[in-house]
Parts: sequence; structure tokens; C-alpha cells
Amino acid sequence: MSSLAINAAKDRPMRTALLRKYTPLLPPALILLLFFAIPMGMMVGLSFQPKGASGASLANYERFFNDDFTLIGLGRTVLMSGLVAICVTVMGYPVAYFLARSRSPWRAVVFALAIAPELAGVVLRTYGWLIILEDHGFINNALVGLGLISEPLPLAKNMFGVVIGLTHVILPFGILSLLTSLQGVDPNLEKSAQILGASRLSVIRHILVPLTIPGIVSSMLLAFTMSASAYATPAILGGAGFKVLATMVYEQVLFYIDWSFAAVMANVLLVMMLIVAFIGSRLEMRLHKKLQF
Amino acid sequence: MKRALLAASAVTLSSVITLAHGQDLIVNSYGGPYEQIIQDAIIKPFEEQYGVRVIYDAVGSSQQDYAKIKATKGRPGFDVVVMSASQSLDGCREGLLEPMSVETVHNLAYLNPAISAVAGACGAVHEIQYLSLLYRTDKLTEAPTSWKDLFNEDLHGRIVLPTFANIMAAYLTQIMASVYGGDINDNIDPGFEAMTRLAAQSIGFEQASAILESYIVDGRVWAMPFWDGRAQLLVDSGAPVDYILPEEGSIPLIATLNIPVGADNKELALKFVDFFLAKTSQERWVQSYKVGSARSDIEVSDEARARKITTQADLDELLLPNLASLSANLAEWGMRWEREVVPAAR
Amino acid sequence: MNRIISSLFWVSLVCIMAFITLPLLVVMAASLSPTAQVTLIPGEWTTRWYGDLIASRWLDPFMLSAQIAVLVAVISGVLGLLAAYVVAFEKCPGHATIMSFLLSPLAVPQIVKGVAIVLFLSSAGLYRWVGTPGLIAAHIILTLPFAVRMIATAMFNFDKNLDRAGQSLGATKAQRIRYLLLPIIKPGVFSGMTFAFIISFNNIPLSVFLVRPGETTLPITVINYLEYSLDPVLAAVNVASLLFVLAVIFAFEKIGGFSAQIHGGSK
Repeated sequence: MSSLAINAAKDRPMRTALLRKYTPLLPPALILLLFFAIPMGMMVGLSFQPKGASGASLANYERFFNDDFTLIGLGRTVLMSGLVAICVTVMGYPVAYFLARSRSPWRAVVFALAIAPELAGVVLRTYGWLIILEDHGFINNALVGLGLISEPLPLAKNMFGVVIGLTHVILPFGILSLLTSLQGVDPNLEKSAQILGASRLSVIRHILVPLTIPGIVSSMLLAFTMSASAYATPAILGGAGFKVLATMVYEQVLFYIDWSFAAVMANVLLVMMLIVAFIGSRLEMRLHKKLQF
Repeated sequence: MKRALLAASAVTLSSVITLAHGQDLIVNSYGGPYEQIIQDAIIKPFEEQYGVRVIYDAVGSSQQDYAKIKATKGRPGFDVVVMSASQSLDGCREGLLEPMSVETVHNLAYLNPAISAVAGACGAVHEIQYLSLLYRTDKLTEAPTSWKDLFNEDLHGRIVLPTFANIMAAYLTQIMASVYGGDINDNIDPGFEAMTRLAAQSIGFEQASAILESYIVDGRVWAMPFWDGRAQLLVDSGAPVDYILPEEGSIPLIATLNIPVGADNKELALKFVDFFLAKTSQERWVQSYKVGSARSDIEVSDEARARKITTQADLDELLLPNLASLSANLAEWGMRWEREVVPAAR
Repeated sequence: MNRIISSLFWVSLVCIMAFITLPLLVVMAASLSPTAQVTLIPGEWTTRWYGDLIASRWLDPFMLSAQIAVLVAVISGVLGLLAAYVVAFEKCPGHATIMSFLLSPLAVPQIVKGVAIVLFLSSAGLYRWVGTPGLIAAHIILTLPFAVRMIATAMFNFDKNLDRAGQSLGATKAQRIRYLLLPIIKPGVFSGMTFAFIISFNNIPLSVFLVRPGETTLPITVINYLEYSLDPVLAAVNVASLLFVLAVIFAFEKIGGFSAQIHGGSK
């Protein structure tokens, strides 16, 4: 924004040339403005409106930041989303690598399976996980049946279950982000490095990972933001005690009909995400620039 | 290829954006098996009598419907909606729902005045359920009689509870307050104490009625609170369960028909409400959906008479909460539930 | 050492694929089960739930969802391309900020977006938009960030030297975009569109607020049904729509050729 202002002061042709560069942005920006920015502006306005009164106040924000229950929910959201971002990227990388490099006929199968989770509706898939993870689910029944454990392991209705479920939901997005990035890396680079005697490990460390930084950052960002605003999975796999911002927002909107407080929570979430997204894309640009010699 | 794709999308776009909106009545209610019952018992007879078409809209829970009415400032796209008495009160206060009177809906005159008063001017009470105690007949040696029986030793780890976002939770807390020496409106503390104890021996919480129901059907739990209408449907389905109205009484779920202020077809909507409240319709509804009625002049089978709320005496036995104070206290009780009751479960 | 890393890679790949497949198998087993309980005994399987799907209660919503998803995919692809061009190719001043803006819808819980959009439409007097037009607009808000991200990632990888070479050979900007940039980033565009399709086709939280009576999408029909009963027909709906979406993806792949990219290696 500030750079625009500086450019405005320069001579005319340069300014129009620069402005013309922005024209393709017009249609998407217009849609976002109309159906996102303006509606969200209304929600932000709502967040300053005290319950059952008119005027503007910070009362709703005070309520949010003075309550350990909502603050714990915020912390839990960050922790959960961070864990999912790591799991998705770590698990997505080998799959994306296989998809980018392999020529085996299995690749089509792996590709279909890799994106399959996203194709099945999230609610039923999450119930699928519940059937696997719950106290009398497949895993616990099998372990108890084999005599390995006497009490069922707490796999569902806690952070563990939610991270598993969300990782499963979001993994396809991570794989696709990484895949696009990995496909941009010339396989000949790896080959020539190996011919020159580099070990696999150093190829990974010095070629693959640095060159796919944009994909890694983009996968982590995507996973983080998607988990932080996911509702169904934390609600089903987390159990009643597992409240994150998104589930609290749902309750405020639908059950307590306190939209002002819901808007406060949504805004906190939005600001948190914007910070993360901004840091992420800055990091990405910096790392990317560094690698462009 | 690209051109073909574009052409295809242009065709779908034009087919999708057709805004036909006739003079059909749009009724929003619940989906699943409920839909079939209301179609047969109420909607089809109504269509025949008035020669109109009813579009049935099963989208959304009543919470979502209310949110939609609020977001559209009373123009949600449906003409009649099934909600509850507390939503009727809120919606009326906010000017989102159309007030009804005996002049516009004649059959309102036959409803129990106390129940009608609870729902306020914008809600026409078309059914009454009560919070019953549902239990497994094959697992419990003795049928329960009291809410206190939920605390029995043999039900340890055999109870599932609703989450607070299911209004059942607040009602159960109020009932427990009354059972343990408090009051449903003014002294709720004993209720929370009892719920905390109950949570400690429960297997946890679920929100959706369909999930709660599945727990008792497959035998993971042996007892739980449940609305009597759906409890009766479970009994009829052949599941080894039964339900009671405990001796301490119960709180009713007063369901209402409402008309959003911006409904396109208000006149027909009023006729529909009136039709639903008519004696014969209420009789059919009580018999087929297995619920109670706020009309005490209806004639129903002895079985329905015995188990459902159909008479003045039945109505008098219920604990009627002050819904205005419930809605004022809801946020505070919710916080308390999350802090005291939920952590006790694990 | 190399062998260890190589076998580690294969073992992890197999484990990850098992992780991905497991819950889908459960849903599949559920769709064949005679009762709401998931049965794993092959002798007791039934396919009757699939027969129940051939009815307008499932087919109509399916058609609507499919139409909306196709439109949303195409529009998101075009808009995403435009936005990514400015942000990732031209790298205009302030591109990081613009990118954050473009991605910001992702950060807002869907229910808040749903309420906000309905609130906006009704405040602006656009009640008639509630329904399919509103659904399409709302889904685009949801899918655009994905499209932008995927396409932008592809553009970051585009070798600018190619563009410079084209320029020095006298190609106009339009020609360079048409013959250099677009073919190379095509897989990114189509993966963005694929995801737009999938997200729109499966969306629940936004759609709940925007569907019009009598015009319901498939996922909304499913959750309305779920509210009242948990029977295997839902799992059957899921498996059937999974197969449908898979078919669409392969069609997209044939047109957009992200398979060509995968087959032929990268440039």
C-alpha cells in the first residue's frame, strides 16, 4: 500500500504502467470485496456492539481476553493447528515426492488414494475415525483382544484423535501443494548430484528441501489455517471437553445466538491467521530469493 | 476442449439461476423419518383441503433455522417453521416473527392457556414432549421411577449425556435442581452439583439426538434422558428400551409453529398453522409422531392417553420453566457447565 | 546409508497410504452393512443401500451439487489465475500483503462467513440471491484462496529466464503468456480447479445458510438425514459421490493434463 503511494508521486507514464499491472487483480478483488470483505466488515462492526445495547464498546473483547476458558481455547487452537501443519507436511512430502518422480503404474493409484480423503464428506469420514479410535473401536478392541493392554488407550475424544482426524482431512491439500512445488525441481539436478557422489541424505538436505521451500511453507500455512477454522472434526473427535475457537464460534452463533461474541472470536482467529500467513509468505519470499543466486 | 468446458458451464449457469417462486407454501421442519410422518399426517391432508402445493424444506436444525431468520431479518425463504417456545419468545421480541391471534388462527382458542402463554404471541404450540428417562429393559433388573435412579451403582459408566448445545442439558440441570432441593428458575446450584456427579459416572457427552440414540440402541449405555416422542418411536421400532416420566416430574419441550415476518405467503401460512392445530390434525399428530398436545379436547387411543401429555392434569404436573430467565441465564449456565460438569466426566 | 534412506522412504510411503485408506475402508464397510453397526463379516453384506440411492431425494441434490461445483471450479480457476499472475508472476509491490488478503477467507470459520454473507445480502436487499447464486458466490470465496495458492506456487516455479528468452526473441507479452507461462503452470491451474470442485461439492457449513427451500445440495441432504438417523444409506451416498468425484478428477486430468506433467517429468 505504501509503495503505491510513493509511486503515485512519480511521473505519470510509470504510474499508469504500474497500475495496469494490477488490473488483472480487479475481478478477484471485486468478488472478495463484495462477498467477503464487506460482509466481514459488518461482522467486525457487530463485535463492538455490546449485548442488548447500542453504541460501541470493547466489552466483548474484554470478555474474551479476561476469560481463561476462551484463552485456553485459543491456545488449544494454536497448538492443534501447529501439530496438524507439521504432520501434514511431514506425511505429505514422501507421497508428493513419489507422485512427482515415479513412473510406476502404481502412481495413478497412489494419486487417487492421496486425494480420496477429501472426496468423501468430512462428517462420515470423521465417524470412520471414531469407529477406529474410540474406546471400543477397532484398535482398542484388537489390542485388548491380543492381551497387549487391559484398559483401552485414550485415542479419541482428545487432542490425539483430533490431530489424526484433521491430518487425514487436510493431507490431500498438503500433498498437492508439495507436488506442484516438487514438479518444479528438475530431476536431473538430483541425478547429477548423485553421479558426483552426493549421498541421498545430502541430496535431500541440499537440493530437494531448499528448492521446495515454497511448497513446504505453502503446505504448512494451508494446513494451519484449515485446521484452525475446522469445525466438524474437533467437534466429533475432540469430545465435549475439547473446545477450540471454531467450535466455540459455532456455539455462539447457533446456540447462544450471541453474534457479537462470535464475531469477537472470529476476529481473533482472523488476526491470528493473518499474522501467520504474513509471516509465512514473507519467509517464503526471503528463502526463495536467497535460493535464486 | 476449453471452449467446450466454457460452453458447458454457461449452460449450467443459466439452468441454475432460474428464480421460479410460485405461490406454493414452504414449510421448514426436520428431515429423516420425521419428514414422512409430517407429510402423511398433516401436509397431504392440508394440500387436499386447500388445493395448494406445499414445498417441504428439511434444511437445518431449529437452531440453524433461527439463525437464518435472524440473519435475513425475517425473510429466510420459508413461510412456516417448526421451532421451540424459547425461540418463539426471542424471535417475537426481536420482531422477526409474525404475531398470531385467535382472529387469524381460530384454533389457538382451544390450546391450554398456560402453555400458550409460555410460547408468547408468535408461537402456536403444536406439540408437547417431555424429558423422559429412557432405559434398557433387558439390562436393568428394575424399571427406574425417579431421576435419582440415574445415580444407581449399576448405571456406572452406562449413561450418556447431552452437550450443553443440546437444550436437553439445560432442562436436565433444571430438573435436577428441583429434585435436589433447589428450584428450576431461581436456585440452580443443586442442579449443577447433581449434574457434576452424574457426569463423573457417565461415558461422556454427545450433541446430536441420532448419536445419543445410537448409544442406547447398541447397548453401550443403559439409561439416558431423552424426549418422549423419539423414545416412543424407539420402543415402536422394537429396540429393547422403555421410558418413564419420573415421579418428580419433568420439563416439557414446547414445540411451536412460527411464521417469519417476511414470509412470502403469510395468508396460506396462517391457514397451515390453523390446520395443524385443528382437533383432527392434532389427533393424527399425537397418534403418528407419538407426542403430546396442548389441546386437551382431542380423542386419542388409551395408550397415547396414558403415556403422552394430553390432558389438563398431565399439563399441570409438568414443571414449567420461565423461558425468559432461561434465555437470560443460558450463557452463564453454559460457562458453568463447561467448567464444572464437562471436566468431571474424565 | 542410501539403502536405509531408500527403504525408510518406501516403508513410510506404505504407512501413509494405509493411514489415508483406513477410514475410507470403514465407510465402505459401513455402506455394505445390513445395520447401522459396521459389520466386517463378508457373508452379511448387502448392496441394498445403493439401490436406495436411485430416487429423486438423492439424485436431485446430487445434480445441483455437481452443477454448482463445476461452475465454482471454472470461475475459481479463472479468478485464481488473474490474481496469481499479479502476485506471483509480476510480483507487484505489496504482493505479500495482497496475498494475505487473497488468503484471508481461509482464516474465517465457515459459519461466520455464512452468517456474514446472508447478513450482507439481506442488508443490501438481495434476498433473491439466497439460493443458488448466493451459494456459488459463497463457494467461490471459499475456493479462491486454494486456487490462488496452487496457481501461485506453480508460478513461483516458473523460470523467469524462459520469459526473458521469449522477450528477446520478439514475442509479445500476450504470446509469452499464451505459449510459455500457461502451458507450464497448467497443472497448477487444474489442481486448483480440482480442489475448488471438491470443496464446493462437499461443503456443508456455508451451504446451510444459503440453500433455498426445494433446492438442496447433496451434503446438506446428508446432514439433515443424519440429524434423525444414522443408517448405512449415508455411507452409500458417500461412497457413490466419492466415485463420482474421482471420475471428475480423472476427466479434469485428461483435459488439464496434470497427468502429462506427472508422466513426462517436469521442465
